[in-house]
Amino acid sequence: MIEIDRVSQVFQTSARSDHLALSDISLSVEEGAFVSILGPSGCGKSTLLYIVGGFVNPTSGIAKMKGKTITGPGPDRGPVFQEFALFPWKSVLGNVMYGPRQQGVRAVDAEAQSRALIEMVGLKGYENFYPKELSGGMKQRVALARTLAYHPEVLLMDEPFGALDAHTRTRLQNDLLNIWERDRKTVIFVTHSVDEAVFLSDKVVMMSRSPGRIRQIVDIELPRPRRRTELLLDPRYQKFVVDIERMFDDDDEAGPGA
Amino acid sequence: MTQRGALIARAAPVLACIGLLALWQVASLLLKNDSFPTAVEAIRAVPAILGDKEALINILASLRRMAVGFGVAVAVSVPLGLLMGRSRQVQAFFNPLLMVIYPVPKAALMPIIMLWLGVGDIAKTLVIFLGVSLPVIYHSFEGAKAVEEKMVWSGAAMGLSAAQRLVRIVMPAALPEILTGCRTGLVLALITMITSEMIARQSGAGNILFNALDMGQYDTVFAMIIIVGAMGICLDAAFERVRARLVRWSEPQFDMPLSFS
Repeated sequence: MIEIDRVSQVFQTSARSDHLALSDISLSVEEGAFVSILGPSGCGKSTLLYIVGGFVNPTSGIAKMKGKTITGPGPDRGPVFQEFALFPWKSVLGNVMYGPRQQGVRAVDAEAQSRALIEMVGLKGYENFYPKELSGGMKQRVALARTLAYHPEVLLMDEPFGALDAHTRTRLQNDLLNIWERDRKTVIFVTHSVDEAVFLSDKVVMMSRSPGRIRQIVDIELPRPRRRTELLLDPRYQKFVVDIERMFDDDDEAGPGA
Repeated sequence: MTQRGALIARAAPVLACIGLLALWQVASLLLKNDSFPTAVEAIRAVPAILGDKEALINILASLRRMAVGFGVAVAVSVPLGLLMGRSRQVQAFFNPLLMVIYPVPKAALMPIIMLWLGVGDIAKTLVIFLGVSLPVIYHSFEGAKAVEEKMVWSGAAMGLSAAQRLVRIVMPAALPEILTGCRTGLVLALITMITSEMIARQSGAGNILFNALDMGQYDTVFAMIIIVGAMGICLDAAFERVRARLVRWSEPQFDMPLSFS
């Protein structure tokens, strides 16, 4: 589905110095897979996601979607950002309808689909609210519905639950998995939380920083559908979490310090 | 707020006006200066001006120039400011230009503009246009710069072209800031309107005011100041109502957001 081929990204931090954010990343994501990119802040994991989204052009290397080189953003790849990035001048319904309307879906149909999506993310009754009237968790639900509304083939989630409190975060993780179980869209999910990555993913791509490289790819062979309360007691789940945390600890001891 | 508190809050502007007029009346009576009529004398002269056809034509001519200057300025400045906020090249080109023009009092350009364009409507409207443009450009620019990049990206992912993103995402997102600039622009339009007519007398509210000054009709001078001031207050209040309606979605609200994940 998505092929990332020897991608490097250099940011110019000042006139004379460059920062190598991503170094020689190659990765492929199969259709229908839930893949997390896990790493400490500053490892370039979000940048990698932005390259797939077409928002950032890589300094070298190429990213492909279904065999076609990615040159810019498109509705086949739908982002969900940590900052929500809702349109504040639009109501909840207006936000969710925006994508379908842009794609030429008739207003009546777009509205019907959007109302159904709003219900699916648990916000029935809030259609006419403005973003400023919603809590962080509700905003992120709207953002997810807004992206799902234009039927992207891949969801690009950039630390989507990073700005939420622990309780809200857990609820949204559960709801995301439930929604994902219905159509098993391809998801690339950026996070710095080990348990979030293990809980959600089929595959965890561990990254190390300075420069950002792929450290290791771990296949999370846990049965689905996953129930959080069951998983927390499951020794296999616990082992994945502990193993991954140990690997990061080793890096910190060997590396230039966290 | 208590009912009494609300009543005081509503009465406050009226009380302030009455207080100011009373202060004026007392000061004028104490100073006994011919060029400083009392508030009562000035207010008495207002109906005479508003009842005079010639004066009304003058005032309407002023308002028309102001409306045209303001309208054209907003139509040009908003797109320019937004483009500057989104494109480094456009910003690099226009920023130095604007920095040079910014501190120049626009009315000071009036003599040169008169030399080129005469003393008619075009010259005066141009000065108003210049006066209004800068705050509107500046606020549109700042507004566009502050638009969250991820919001623009979200639009790009939905398939909006660069031009569509500017009009349909950057502009509405920057609207509160743009309208703040327009409000400043509206007041500046009034100021430049009067000053342009002070320099190029021919018609207009400024013409009445400064002719009366020349002839020593001080009650008319102060009556005109009251009229122009009232026009400014009414325009600003009307604009503020429209503005508040357009950006209701962005106003901070006092009740807490719903607590629900």
